[in-house]
Amino acid sequence: MMKLMLATSAIALALAAPARADFWADASADLQGVTIRGVSESTPPSNYVKDVLIPEFTAKTGIIVEYETTSWDQMFDKAIKDMEAGSGIYDFVYIEQDIIYSYLARDFLVNLTDMLEANPDLQAPDFDMAAFTTFIDNFRGADGDVFGMPMEAFIKVYLYRKDLFEEPAHQEAFKAKYNYDLAPAVTFDQWRDNAEYFANIDPNDELWGTTVQAASGHPASFYEFFETIAPSFGVYNWGINAETAAATVEKGGQMNSAEAKEALAFWISMLDYAPPEATASTWDEVASTFAAGRAAQGWVYGENAAWIATNPEKSSVVGKVGVMLPPVVDGVMAEAEAGEGYIGYYDGGAFGMPHSSKNKEATLLFLQYIGQPSVQADWAVAGSRVVHQATYDDPKVQAVDAIADGYFTLMRDKGYLFRGAPEFPFHAQVREAVAPFIYEAIVGTMTPGDALDQAAAAAETEMANLGYGGN
Amino acid sequence: MKHGFLQARALNVLFWLAMSALTLLPVWWMFLVSVRTRADLFGNPSFLLDVSSMTWGNYAEVLANPTFQHYMTNSLIVATSNAVLVSVLALLAAYAMSRYALIGKDNIFFWVLTNRMAPPAVFLLPLFLMFTGFRFGDWSLFDTRIGLILLYCVFNLPFAFWLLQGIVDAIPKELDEAAYVDGASTFTVLTTVIFPLARPGLAVTGILTWVFAWNEYLFASTLTSVHARTITTGLAEFVTVTGTNWGQLAAVAMLTLAPAVLVLALVQRHIVAGLTFGAVKG
Amino acid sequence: MRNSTTGWLLLAPTLFILVITGLLPFVYVLSVSFFDWNTFAQNPDPQYAGVNNFRRLVFDAAFLKSLWLTLKFTVFVVLSQLVIGFFLAKMLMRDMPLKGLFRTVHTLPLMIAPIAVGATWRLLTVPGLGPIPHWMKEWFDISYILSRFPDQAFATVVIMDIWHWTPLVTLTLMAGLSNLPEEPLEQARIDGASEWRIFWDITLAFLKPVLLTTIFIRLMDALRTVDEVWMLTGGGPGAETRFIGLHIWRVVFPKTDYGYGSAMSLITLYLTIVMCWFLYVAMTGMKDKTR
Repeated sequence: MMKLMLATSAIALALAAPARADFWADASADLQGVTIRGVSESTPPSNYVKDVLIPEFTAKTGIIVEYETTSWDQMFDKAIKDMEAGSGIYDFVYIEQDIIYSYLARDFLVNLTDMLEANPDLQAPDFDMAAFTTFIDNFRGADGDVFGMPMEAFIKVYLYRKDLFEEPAHQEAFKAKYNYDLAPAVTFDQWRDNAEYFANIDPNDELWGTTVQAASGHPASFYEFFETIAPSFGVYNWGINAETAAATVEKGGQMNSAEAKEALAFWISMLDYAPPEATASTWDEVASTFAAGRAAQGWVYGENAAWIATNPEKSSVVGKVGVMLPPVVDGVMAEAEAGEGYIGYYDGGAFGMPHSSKNKEATLLFLQYIGQPSVQADWAVAGSRVVHQATYDDPKVQAVDAIADGYFTLMRDKGYLFRGAPEFPFHAQVREAVAPFIYEAIVGTMTPGDALDQAAAAAETEMANLGYGGN
Repeated sequence: MKHGFLQARALNVLFWLAMSALTLLPVWWMFLVSVRTRADLFGNPSFLLDVSSMTWGNYAEVLANPTFQHYMTNSLIVATSNAVLVSVLALLAAYAMSRYALIGKDNIFFWVLTNRMAPPAVFLLPLFLMFTGFRFGDWSLFDTRIGLILLYCVFNLPFAFWLLQGIVDAIPKELDEAAYVDGASTFTVLTTVIFPLARPGLAVTGILTWVFAWNEYLFASTLTSVHARTITTGLAEFVTVTGTNWGQLAAVAMLTLAPAVLVLALVQRHIVAGLTFGAVKG
Repeated sequence: MRNSTTGWLLLAPTLFILVITGLLPFVYVLSVSFFDWNTFAQNPDPQYAGVNNFRRLVFDAAFLKSLWLTLKFTVFVVLSQLVIGFFLAKMLMRDMPLKGLFRTVHTLPLMIAPIAVGATWRLLTVPGLGPIPHWMKEWFDISYILSRFPDQAFATVVIMDIWHWTPLVTLTLMAGLSNLPEEPLEQARIDGASEWRIFWDITLAFLKPVLLTTIFIRLMDALRTVDEVWMLTGGGPGAETRFIGLHIWRVVFPKTDYGYGSAMSLITLYLTIVMCWFLYVAMTGMKDKTR
């Protein structure tokens, strides 16, 4: 029914087209009724595309967009199968920042920079690659051309419960027990003390000391450890040297270094102070644990930070949320400032166009439509994602920023300290090889040290199997 | 004697009341979650229905969602068409196996069954290639209901075939022989002799295959995209997507099982009679 | 016997569809299993590897563990379902008020989509929301956390499967029991045989074909259980409930290791067929005897 309405309105607009001499109508004059199809994970920013941007785009251009929103696993499986088989089902696919290197290595995607240059009549006047934040650099190929249109970006921050940390009774009790002032954590020792304190206030209450994204059968735990915890202990790029395909210390990797083991041991020990659902928690559960007021502090993905802080329908801690940079060990901040390291995860994704797309012109228009400045601010408010530098200065975004304890400001000013996943073409393969050992460490069937020793060995075997590292 | 008999009956009923409670508990819990608001979910669990804070909001939201309606329609069409197709084909096949001397009968029978044994995951790859590669112009099997209807035969046909084999075997040969002597064609024999007598068995076959098709998830999730998605894929999407929006998840799950339960209630008395798999010679 | 051409014609549509949807993909998987093929390898094209994939399987601890878990799971659930199903079938055969209602309720889980079954049990067991962890703590002081304790996860998956599939066993056994011949039973009672002997020598003996058929069906389906376990535990904690179907899925999809995954599923299919073949031979042997 909805589709029929869209189709009829598209036809109506198509008939009225000559009267509206704007770029979108002109550029799409030959593309009336063309249908393009895309696939994406169903997230708040993605749902905004579906509910707002696509109807707008169709109304302006007469191009029909079918948008499949599905689960995270499914999305990759299907996009990859489609591009590999060249079946041309999808005209645009969601590319998470961490999978882009695999796609580029396989030459799955159309070079958008080239295509825009080759088709000046399809170039939207408002659209400008230079308007994006540096996040777009993740989607550039070797010669700097863009292969993905950024649609969402976040940082993974430290969230804490302002109300609890500011409560005088807690401040007194904490000081009496630990001999220093209660405060949001800037070191890991402090994190531990905070976690222990809040977890033990009352054994029967529904409040714990920290979140841990430690799903014991889902890659989410792998990601939290290698992309958030390990870097803050000075272990970058999963502890893998991609040049030499080394992960073990013996071969020049870092995955089982003393720092990595210390990081894993710390992270696992936080399970003692985390709510029972921690070992079943992916990013979604962590967010809802925090939103339900069950944890005093935690590492939370930025895509959730805004709704936890501002949406009273979904969150019981509105107005009580504090946002800060996650703690790091000594030296990491200096390395991050110098660009030699990073303190946490800069997450996000883009839409790319597979070579097998059968409607490249229409798709190029759509990608520019979602990349133009005028749609950015409302989208940022709806999904707490920012991909344009100018979005930060929009009054609507600043209003949300004020309630969300400066999340957007933090991202603008300190975003450069964070980084996305390393440039590995074997991202998913090594993840699958390594993740089981992280699960073992979580469940306690392996010590953190053993788990990382075996994980590093497994990673090397996998890379060798895949033919990387020149051996 | 009479007293003891009544006591035994009472015990029986008590036993089954307890059993039924045990069976229904998970479903009842799901119902409770589905009528609670997000704020009421946590805390001390209770199996009592708190009418005062009950809400139909989750259902209203799900039912008003056009995507959900679309998925539901797809599931209904796919499951029903598949069940009918499978029942008819399996009846013909079972009749052939029962009444004709075919070479390698037992091996064919077993081969048919092996189609239900394969771990489905790996077959998704060739099926995906087949579904996207087999095309007329712009049309391919991918993301079509027809594709799913055909594909579900791979696990439903063996099952139906086996069930109906037992049913047809149990129909006395003399009946159709008599019809043939009267000059009836194979078609007439099938429609006027075999079909009426196999009806209870066909009903069970139809229902069970319908349920299997309705419940299928893995194939549907990979081989459909927008147009032909079914309700089970919708349910899985709800879980991964809304993460912990348990209330809505429960509402979708309740709505998913509703049609199947309805069907069950209508036909439960016939099920046992049909479920012999040829192992019982009546 | 009638003209077999007509017989083949009647059989043809079934065979045709199964060749397309079953045999063709099988042949494809068979051929892929002899190649090294991962989309994201240095060389993304399939390379002939002979029987290497199969050789690797023998030493693959994760695969063997998954296989072992699957067998353990299958044995647990099939046996429990047979025992419980038989008992319940007997109980349901007795005359009582509300019998139809009880039977409907008992059959209900059978109708629920595996994916919804998984969702239901997840709602029961998720900490902080589900009643099971809460009462385990309250009554027995046990911390019940599926994602942390492998034994609890395995046991819960088994119980879930029993809840889901026992009704099918009950129904088939009821069909069998209601067709038991009366005379041998009467005769044995007159001869003064004990209830136990009657059960063992007569009821079970006559039920054997039905029992074997039931085992066959349950075995076939239990070995390929994926949806509900995926939904409940995701294969965790660790890989402690990662049954073979789930394991293959992880290898073929997230890891895109097509060649190796194909070899894995062929071995699995082969083992399943062998097990079922033994049952089938036992079944048909029995059928011929009764003929």
